[in-house]
Amino acid sequence: MDSTTDKALMMKVKDGDLDKLGLLFERYNRPLYSFFYRKTFEPQLSEDLVQSVFERMLKYRTTYSGTGAFTTWMFSIARNAHIDHYRKEKRRKEDEILDEERIASDAPTGYMEMDERHQKKLLLEKALEQLDEDKKEVVILSRFEGLKYHEIAEIQGVTESAIKVRMFRAMKDLKQIVTTLSEEYSHE
Amino acid sequence: MSEKNEKLIADYLKGMLDDQGKREIEELIAEGDIDFIDFRAIEQLHDELDMIPIPEQSSNLSKNFYTMLEEEKGKSRISIRNTVREKIMEVLNQVTMPRLAYACILLIAGAFIGNQMNSNDAEIKELTSEMQTMREMMMVSMLEGPSTTDRLRAVNISAQLPSVDQKAIRALFFTLNNDESINVRVQSIEALSRWGDNPIVREGFVKAIANQESDIVIITLADAMVELGLKNSANEFQRLINEKDLNSATKLKVENTIAVLS
Repeated sequence: MDSTTDKALMMKVKDGDLDKLGLLFERYNRPLYSFFYRKTFEPQLSEDLVQSVFERMLKYRTTYSGTGAFTTWMFSIARNAHIDHYRKEKRRKEDEILDEERIASDAPTGYMEMDERHQKKLLLEKALEQLDEDKKEVVILSRFEGLKYHEIAEIQGVTESAIKVRMFRAMKDLKQIVTTLSEEYSHE
Repeated sequence: MSEKNEKLIADYLKGMLDDQGKREIEELIAEGDIDFIDFRAIEQLHDELDMIPIPEQSSNLSKNFYTMLEEEKGKSRISIRNTVREKIMEVLNQVTMPRLAYACILLIAGAFIGNQMNSNDAEIKELTSEMQTMREMMMVSMLEGPSTTDRLRAVNISAQLPSVDQKAIRALFFTLNNDESINVRVQSIEALSRWGDNPIVREGFVKAIANQESDIVIITLADAMVELGLKNSANEFQRLINEKDLNSATKLKVENTIAVLS
């Protein structure tokens, strides 16, 4: 995607041509939805968070400077939207986490009857879900959204080196979680 | 494993390693500093992540966004109107009686001078017309030039013209249909939109749809069609979807445009 054009469009939004945000929406609503879905695995919440990102883009349009890649700015807003949501829902989430932990140890219904490919898909989804939030974000932004390490570093406010280490450790943890879950589900 | 090696593997996963970097990994594996089985398992897992499915979004996402955008545009218009009203009230509040008298004197003087100048109206009109012709000539000539910057400047000159003749419109459409620069094409759409009441412009826009390859030009054109209410462009857009392999976002935008225009 031509990032210069993205910037030019956002600058027009900043100057009051709000319709140009529609073009940015058409371009980025899917990547943002995928980003949130892989973080939350909740379709409705992911849509709400996408909406929240575009609301924030409108709200803070006058602060857009046009420096750096547009996607870095956009995913920084997305990250904050997710953090804010998480904080707001913290109490409810804590209760849910307790439930999820209990459920997580149970094998999903029909796991043993699934073919190998379906089992793998399920294991990957469950493993990504259980990954530490910062590591999960690095994997999503790098592997799925195609951002460069230095761009992810800017979003997470750490060095590029730290992101590379985080990426490796995320993959290592993911491998471990997949192995553990696979053993747990197979023994039930 | 050392952080240096962890970073090296992260670079490998991202496809950032050159031949020397790849050799370095091979050597580390050969020396046992990187466990080969672990390395392969991580690489395979990285590839397999694509298997995680993403459900389809509901149509509400798009609907909610455009509703929110319309609301914001409404708020923005009200805010501009209020600002103008406030400014006018500010000026009016400052007009005390002596100032009001001064304003009246200026108004009468202006009317008198205007009346005196009426005799030269024909000359002024002629001069204005000549200047506009020169501007148009300059614009057409710059549009044909090799420099992208000049062509962009030419398109912008058209925006300063109070009206344009057929030659200038033809030149702008030639630019829209043939210019190698996407930016110039996009600017020409915006320039031509100003003359959207002109039947030649309306017809030219519809015909231009079939000539476009760039997503951003197609999207800008789609926006212009909606803005100008060119309902007869819906068929051309449908043909574009049928005949060209548009990317999914552009296709969605065009489908939305057809829905709005139909």
